[in-house]
Amino acid sequence: MAIDQQMVDIIVEQLSVEKDKVVPNASFVDDLGADSLDLVELIMAMEEEFDVEIPDEEAEKISTVQNAIDYVNNLKK
Amino acid sequence: MKLPPLKIAGLTAPIPLIQGGMSIRVSTAALAAPVASCGGIGVIGGSAIPDEELKADIRKAKANTNGIVAVNIMYAMKYFYNAVMAAIDAKADFIITGAGFSRDIFKIGREHNIPIVMIVSSPGIAKLAERLGAAAIIVEASEAGGHLGTDKPLREIFPAIREVVKNVPLIAAGGITNGYEMAEMMDKYGADGIQIASRFVLSEECDVDDKFKQAFLDAKKEDIVLTSSPVGMPGRAINTPFVQAKAAGEDLSTKKCEYKCLKKCDHHYCISERLRAARDGDIEHGLVFAGANTYKMKEILPVAEIFRRFVTEAESVYKEGRGFAPPAAV
Repeated sequence: MAIDQQMVDIIVEQLSVEKDKVVPNASFVDDLGADSLDLVELIMAMEEEFDVEIPDEEAEKISTVQNAIDYVNNLKK
Repeated sequence: MKLPPLKIAGLTAPIPLIQGGMSIRVSTAALAAPVASCGGIGVIGGSAIPDEELKADIRKAKANTNGIVAVNIMYAMKYFYNAVMAAIDAKADFIITGAGFSRDIFKIGREHNIPIVMIVSSPGIAKLAERLGAAAIIVEASEAGGHLGTDKPLREIFPAIREVVKNVPLIAAGGITNGYEMAEMMDKYGADGIQIASRFVLSEECDVDDKFKQAFLDAKKEDIVLTSSPVGMPGRAINTPFVQAKAAGEDLSTKKCEYKCLKKCDHHYCISERLRAARDGDIEHGLVFAGANTYKMKEILPVAEIFRRFVTEAESVYKEGRGFAPPAAV
């Protein structure tokens, strides 16, 4: 499965949102209703799913669906 | 009945009482060392001071006591990791953190073999902190002074967090002013200990300016208010002329950021400048963080006397099955 599809699935599951809301420029906090705990849980789910490690400093920069996809894509290159 | 000790990781405090960390420079070695010597846990406020100063202060505290000395560092600080590494370098016994959630801190704690204690205000964060390896969890409620993560009172939020934290000590904090309340939180609510901070501002040893203590002594119930903070969380403070001017809409925004203390700052005022001013006695222009029940405390006491009273009061009702009311005044 492509990373962006996997990512959408993780976001749908972690934030309990409708799949059609998870568009590239959607902000986790402003558009998908995530709170600080949701964000931490989401980052941890990404780490597990893609077998990567995302430090605090990088995690703070991931605020939209596209940010998350780009971040994992860059690590996987 | 005698109070149990508080065990955090391999450390044992004979008295289950943590002195809350207060920045900037409100809880320093001058306060933390005597607290630790009395059997509690002394905490240095490690936010927004230079690393070298923090290290020197930890070493000073450790040199003056055989008790437990911890450091409190807010995650919202720009140089959070530098401060954490400084605290580890100077051999603080553990690190307390809050105001944002760091996952890396738990990894650092494991690598350096130093316990990490997390301040939380909700069951979700508490559960996550325990899962990630927190050595203890402090529940800080809306009665606390300084930055707040909840608008709910202690007796409302504590039970739900007690429910989910299974394996590490859980500490109650926010608005506790005497030993009867300490016993109530430990006996009735199942806390493993308490954290108090404002009570220790009114100690002889706390080395803030006398005017800062006087502001505490003068504060009436209605003088302790919620105010905004550039940290992005509300803060509980005394309604000083500065806080009043801000509430009235006066432009107090930072023209030049001198301290660069926060990761994200909206610069609607400079919190470093205002906290430093208060600490040094400029109450008019300063920000004086204080707990909601500060108005109930009317005496400056030696740290040892604060401990003596808390322990005597708590042990007179702890697990005695007679409730937690203070004896009626004679």
